[in-house]
Amino acid sequence: MSVTKKYAVRNIRLCTKDCLCLYVCPTGAADTENSIIDVEKCIGCGDCADACPSGAISLVPFEYPPQQPKTESVVSTLNTLLRSKAKQENIAAGLPGKLAKAIEKSNRIMAEDIIREAGYMLPQSHNTRQFLQSLLEQNPEGFPRETVEKLLTVLYDQKEDKQMKENKILDNLMEAFAGESQANRKYLAYAKQAEKEGKLNAAKLFRAAADAETLHAFKLLEVAGKIGSTADNLKDGITGETYEYKEMYPAFVKEAEAAGNKAAVMAYTFAMKAEEVHAKLYQEALENIDQTEEVFYYLCPVCGNIEKFVPDKCSICGIPGKKFIKY
Amino acid sequence: MAKYVCSICGFVYDETEGIPEAGMAAGTKWDELPDDWVCPLCGAEKADFMKQGAPSTDHAEKPKTVHDASLDMQQLSPLEVSALCSNLARACEQQYKAEEADLFKELAGYFKSVSAPAKDPNFSQLLDLVEKDLEQDFPNAKAAASEVKDRGALRALTWSEKVTRILKSLLHRYQKEGDALLENTGVYVCTICGFIYIGDELPEVCPVCKVATWKFEKVEGR
Repeated sequence: MSVTKKYAVRNIRLCTKDCLCLYVCPTGAADTENSIIDVEKCIGCGDCADACPSGAISLVPFEYPPQQPKTESVVSTLNTLLRSKAKQENIAAGLPGKLAKAIEKSNRIMAEDIIREAGYMLPQSHNTRQFLQSLLEQNPEGFPRETVEKLLTVLYDQKEDKQMKENKILDNLMEAFAGESQANRKYLAYAKQAEKEGKLNAAKLFRAAADAETLHAFKLLEVAGKIGSTADNLKDGITGETYEYKEMYPAFVKEAEAAGNKAAVMAYTFAMKAEEVHAKLYQEALENIDQTEEVFYYLCPVCGNIEKFVPDKCSICGIPGKKFIKY
Repeated sequence: MAKYVCSICGFVYDETEGIPEAGMAAGTKWDELPDDWVCPLCGAEKADFMKQGAPSTDHAEKPKTVHDASLDMQQLSPLEVSALCSNLARACEQQYKAEEADLFKELAGYFKSVSAPAKDPNFSQLLDLVEKDLEQDFPNAKAAASEVKDRGALRALTWSEKVTRILKSLLHRYQKEGDALLENTGVYVCTICGFIYIGDELPEVCPVCKVATWKFEKVEGR
């Protein structure tokens, strides 16, 4: 069975406009004003080809298999014939009358068929690519160089394809980063729980595993190219925190309130207020990025609020300032 | 009474039946047919017919394979490069790649335009080349392709050899009849194999490659 990725094409000469393809196409790819099936929309399911009563639709692969190899003796004897057919085409082209014109055409068609069997069947093949490149190298005067360059681009330059693959890799890296990051926090939470229960060995293991996931997360983020200069990272921090306090948490709070989930409302609210503070502090740090005088930060261990001095009590959750942790 | 089979298209001349509608009464012997009689379906000459049931003499003397030095790209003439490009244009069309097909057509047109015209062309030069093809180059190529069981090459060679024999027949007739051969009659070329048809009533399928004849192209005068 073939697993090649395919798309549907319609042979307009055979199409009898029964339009069954339009009824069965799950994505609407067959329904276009120019009768050409939309490659972007086509998912290659083949339902249209099965439904077409005129056999006007077929599925063609995005990528063709490599060309069948040719032996040298076959190629050389075919080339001898090709040479003869081209000569005959040339002679006939110089002669008057319908017969000469027909002979000229006939020889061209034979020459095409012969060279096709001499190793030039597929435009996508290595042979064709080499042929086009050799044209560029020879570069005879007045020859349409751009046409050859364009062909090389459209036939072989799989830039878009490459881009898609790279995008996919980046998506995967970021998904892995998210997973490892979550695992880190989850295991730390599990470690705290284990400590509460007095299961110190399990707690130790959770902490070690949490650190391991941190290592993974750092590496993934680095490979994804997401770690910039400190100025860039501060800007990224501002963007992230701002989105959270302005958009994400307000929406979450509303939903939790509507559902009457007070614990969630409180967790969201604390986080939302703290994120606003974080965004402001990042902004300040960005503005004073070259400042050498040492700055201290104090973290509220309950709600995540950060201050630049020890407050009497936390402005968000109200715990005494002496519980703040100095950084 | 015997039957004679056209080696190009498979048409059978049956002496018992003759072809009354073409003036050959039932019972007309093969030898009684005029020498310039041609296959009513494909235009092959009498010499291209074989008596049914007679042992084929075609492969009696198989020529030895001659290996020419293979031609690399630099050695292709502009017209050969043009044929290569128009072949690739066809391949792109078959793959529904219209943009690529147009680009290859443009290249084919360019290389045809820069090809030096033939010196003092005449019909007997064509006949000489056709005869050389049939006597030497087709047998060589067929032997090479059979040896390695290259079915694709054999297919192309079978078609183009038959078409070349038709060209030979047409060139012979043209030598004898001159422009009368083409007066008040259509000339068609099969765009798949190159078969040339002279007449106004097209057969249903090409006698050589069997493609439906809507793939034939009518040749207008120049």
